[in-house]
Amino acid sequence: MKNTRRGVVLLAGMALVGIAAAGCGAGKTSEEGLIVGTTDKVISIDPAGAYDNGSMQIQTQVFSYLLNFPEGSTELTPDAAEKCEFSQPTEFTCTMKDGLTFANGNPLTAKSVAFSYQRIVDIDDPNGPVSLLTNMKSVEAKDDKTVVFTLNSPNDQTFPQVLVTSAGPIVDELTYPADKVLDDAAAVKANAFSGPYTIGTYQKNQLAEFKANPDYDGAFNKPKADKVTMKYYKDSNNLKLDIENGNIDVAWRSLTPTDIASLEKADGVKVHVGAGGELRYMVFNLKTMPGDDDDQKLAIRKAMASSIDRAELAEQVYKGTYAPAYSILPAGVPGAVESFKDMYGEKPDKAAAQKFLDDAGVKIPVTLPIQYNPDHYGSNSDQEYNAIKRQLEASGLFTVKLESTEWDTYSEERVNDGYPIFQLGWFPDFPDADNYLTPFLAPKNFLESHYEDDVTTKLLDDERTDGDQTSREATFKELQDRVAEQLPILPLLSGAQIAVAGDDIAGVEKTLDAAFKFRFTSLSKK
Amino acid sequence: MATAEIFAPPEPPETPAKSSVGFSPLTRYLLVRLALVLPMIWVLVTMVFILMRVIGDPITSASAGRLTSEQIAERKADAGFDRPILVQYWEYLSGLFRGDFGTTLTDHRPISDIFVVNGAATLELSIWALIVAFSVGMPLGRVAARYRDRLPDVLLRLAAILFYAAPVFFVGLLLKLAFAPFGWPVAGRASTGAELALQDVSPQTHIMLFDAILYGNTGYIVDVLQHAVLPAIALGLLTGGVFLRLVRVNLLQTLQMDYVTAARARGVPEKRVIRKHAFRNALVPVVTVMGMQMALLLAGAVLTETTFEWPGLGFTLTEYLIRRDFLAVQGIVTLLAVVVGVTSFLIDVIVAFVDPRVRF
Repeated sequence: MKNTRRGVVLLAGMALVGIAAAGCGAGKTSEEGLIVGTTDKVISIDPAGAYDNGSMQIQTQVFSYLLNFPEGSTELTPDAAEKCEFSQPTEFTCTMKDGLTFANGNPLTAKSVAFSYQRIVDIDDPNGPVSLLTNMKSVEAKDDKTVVFTLNSPNDQTFPQVLVTSAGPIVDELTYPADKVLDDAAAVKANAFSGPYTIGTYQKNQLAEFKANPDYDGAFNKPKADKVTMKYYKDSNNLKLDIENGNIDVAWRSLTPTDIASLEKADGVKVHVGAGGELRYMVFNLKTMPGDDDDQKLAIRKAMASSIDRAELAEQVYKGTYAPAYSILPAGVPGAVESFKDMYGEKPDKAAAQKFLDDAGVKIPVTLPIQYNPDHYGSNSDQEYNAIKRQLEASGLFTVKLESTEWDTYSEERVNDGYPIFQLGWFPDFPDADNYLTPFLAPKNFLESHYEDDVTTKLLDDERTDGDQTSREATFKELQDRVAEQLPILPLLSGAQIAVAGDDIAGVEKTLDAAFKFRFTSLSKK
Repeated sequence: MATAEIFAPPEPPETPAKSSVGFSPLTRYLLVRLALVLPMIWVLVTMVFILMRVIGDPITSASAGRLTSEQIAERKADAGFDRPILVQYWEYLSGLFRGDFGTTLTDHRPISDIFVVNGAATLELSIWALIVAFSVGMPLGRVAARYRDRLPDVLLRLAAILFYAAPVFFVGLLLKLAFAPFGWPVAGRASTGAELALQDVSPQTHIMLFDAILYGNTGYIVDVLQHAVLPAIALGLLTGGVFLRLVRVNLLQTLQMDYVTAARARGVPEKRVIRKHAFRNALVPVVTVMGMQMALLLAGAVLTETTFEWPGLGFTLTEYLIRRDFLAVQGIVTLLAVVVGVTSFLIDVIVAFVDPRVRF
C-alpha cells in the first residue's frame, strides 16, 4: 500500500516536471500562421452594428469596399468598384467590377452596395456608423453594375473618403437582414465575405482565424500570409509578455508607453512607428469656463496655451510615443501647419501669458476647473493631466482644480455643460484634414462647447466642396490659424501608430501608413 | 442480579423511525434541503432583477450619451422595458424556467451561449483551483496540527493567512512576473494553435482538457495543463489557505477525542493515529465549508480570469459590466447565484452521506 502511494506521488511529480519542462519555451508552431495580438474589442462584424477600432480591424480584412487605400497610400483606389465619380454635384456614381462574388458564392453587385448603405441608415444602431452618412440623402442601384449616391450638399469632397470608413463594407443582401444587426456567429457561418481574407474559427473577443480568400482582387495586395490569427487580450501587460516571449508575432494596439519603452530594449522584437493620427486635446466650454466676459475667457485660453510644455508631456508621460501637437491638424496630415507654435511659442512663456491676462483685466491667479477621463483615453491620462496641472501652476498664474470622472458619466455630463474645461481625444475616420475640422468646428459640432463662428463655417463649406487640393490646403491653413486665435480647443499631443513585431516578421511598417488601415495582407514571415 | 444488569447488552439504539409521511430521515433531510435551496435561488434571482432595475433600464444604461431620449424611448418600447415592472419580472422568471435567458444588448450574443462556453471555462478553472486548494490545505494542515505551536506550525499558519489575505490579482501578477521570463504561458487557456485546433473537436465540451484528450494530441494536453497551472495556483491558494487552517483546527480537536486517546493508550504509533483515526474524521467539517468556499472561489475567479485572460464567466462579466450591458450582467449573475445554490445543496447531500449525524 505504502509502495503504491509512493508510486503515485512519484508519477505525479514526474508529470509536473514534464509539464514544467515543456512549458519553458512553449510558444507557437509554424502551422498556426501569423498571430496578431490586440487589446481592442469587437462589437460586431456586421458593419451596421459597429463603429469602433476592434470591429473595423476585422471588417478591413474580410469585406470589400467600393474604394480603398492600398498599402502605403492615401490615394483612393477602386476596390469592388471599377470607378467612382461625381456624375452631378449631388450625385456620386460608382460602376462595379464584373463577376464579383462573396465567398459563399452569392453575387456581389450594385444592389449589394445599395443594400449595405441603406440598412446602416435604417437600422440606426447606437453602436453603428450612421453618423458618417449624414450627407447621404439616398442610395440606389440603377442596375447590377451602377450605384448612385444622392447627397444633401453638393460636391462633398469628403464623401468618397466616407466609402472607406466603417460605413463602407459591402455585405450580402441574401445573408444580412435589412432591419437588424446580424450576430457574429451567423455572419461567420454564412461566410458572406469578399475581402482578402475570410474567417475560419471565430470566438468573439478571444480568437479570430483569417484564411486567405483566393478570389479577392481588390485594392489591397494578395495576402502574403495564408493564415493570420487575431488573439484578443484584456490586459496590455499580457499582450506585452506574449510578444516578448514570442508567443505572438505582432502586437497591434494598445501597449502602454512604459511597455513600448521596455520592448524597444528587448531582444527579438522590433517597435514599428507609423504615421500619426490620434489627437489629444482640451476643450473649453465657452459658456461655463472661467472669465467674466468673452474677452477674459479668450485671454485665459491664450494664457493657458502659452503655459503648456507639450514636449515635456510627450517625453515624460508618453516616453516619446506621442508628439507635441501645435495645430488642430496633426503633423503629417496634408495641409497641416503649426499655428500654435507660431502664435504661442514652443516652450512656456510666462511673460506672454501674464500679458494676455493683464490686458483683459483678469484677476490672478485664475482658478481652472479641469476634468479628465481615466478609462477611455488610456491609463496615462492621469499622469498627463497631473503634469498639465504642474505646468500651469508653475507659471504662478493659475490654480488648477483637477477632477476625473468615469467614461459613461463623463460623456453625458460634458455635453450638458457639466465641465468648463475637459479632456477629449480623436482618432480619424479617414485621412483627410476635414475629418479634424468639420466635426469640431461646424455648427452643432460634437464638442457641444457653444463654439459657432460664421467665418469658420463658411471656410469649412469652402474646403469641403473645393476640388482643387492647393486652394483647399490654403483654406486649411486659414482654419488652423483661426483655431489658434479663437482657441475653442487646445491641441496637446498627436499619437503615432505603434506596432511591435518579432524580428522575423515583415511588412508591418508598410501598413502603418496615414490611411490608418492595419492590413494583414502586408504581413509575412521573413 | 446487579452484575447481570451491568453486563447486560445495551438496548439497541432506536432505529431511525420513518416520519409520519413515510420518509426515511435521509430522504426527509434531502427534501428539506431542496425545499430550502429553491427559495434561496428565487430570492437571489429576484435580488439580481431588482438591483439591475434600480440602476435604470438596460437600454438607457447601454446607450446613454449616444441616443436621443426619443430613440431611447423607442428602443425601450421595442424591448418591452416600458411595461410595468411586475410584468417584466414575470416574463424574466418564466424565461428562466424555459431556459431562455435572452440576448446581450451590446453584441447580440445569446446568454445561454455564454453559460455553455464561458461557464465551462470557469468550471475548469474552479476544478483546478480546488485541486490546488486540497493539495495545499490538506497535507499542510496535517503537518501544522502535528507540530502544534512549533516552528512548522507557526510558518504554515502565517502562510495560510498570506494565502487567503493576499489579493488574488496581486498573487497572479507576482506569478506572471516570476514565470513569464522562462517562457511559461501567462494568458489564455491554451496556445493559439491548440485553441484553434480544439475548436474542431466533436463533440466540443468547452472544457479544454477534455477537448484536448478527445482530440488525441499529447502536445495539446500538455499545453492546456501548462496554461492552467498559474491561474489554478493563484485561485487555489486563496481557498487552500482556508483549508489549511480548517484542517489544522479540526485535527487538533479530533486529536483530543477519547477514542484517539484510547488508540494511543493501545500503543498505536502516532503517525497511524493521525492518518487512520484522526485525519479522516477531521475532514468532515472541511466538506461542509467547501460549499461556502464555492462562492469565494467564484468571486476570486472574476479577478483570476481577468488577470490571466481566462475567458470564463468572471472575465465575461467584467467585459459586459464595462459596456454597461446589464442584460448580460443579469444573466451571468443569475447563473452564478444558481451555481452557488446548487453547490450548497450538493454539499449538504455529501455531508449527509459522510456524516450520518446530520440526518437526525
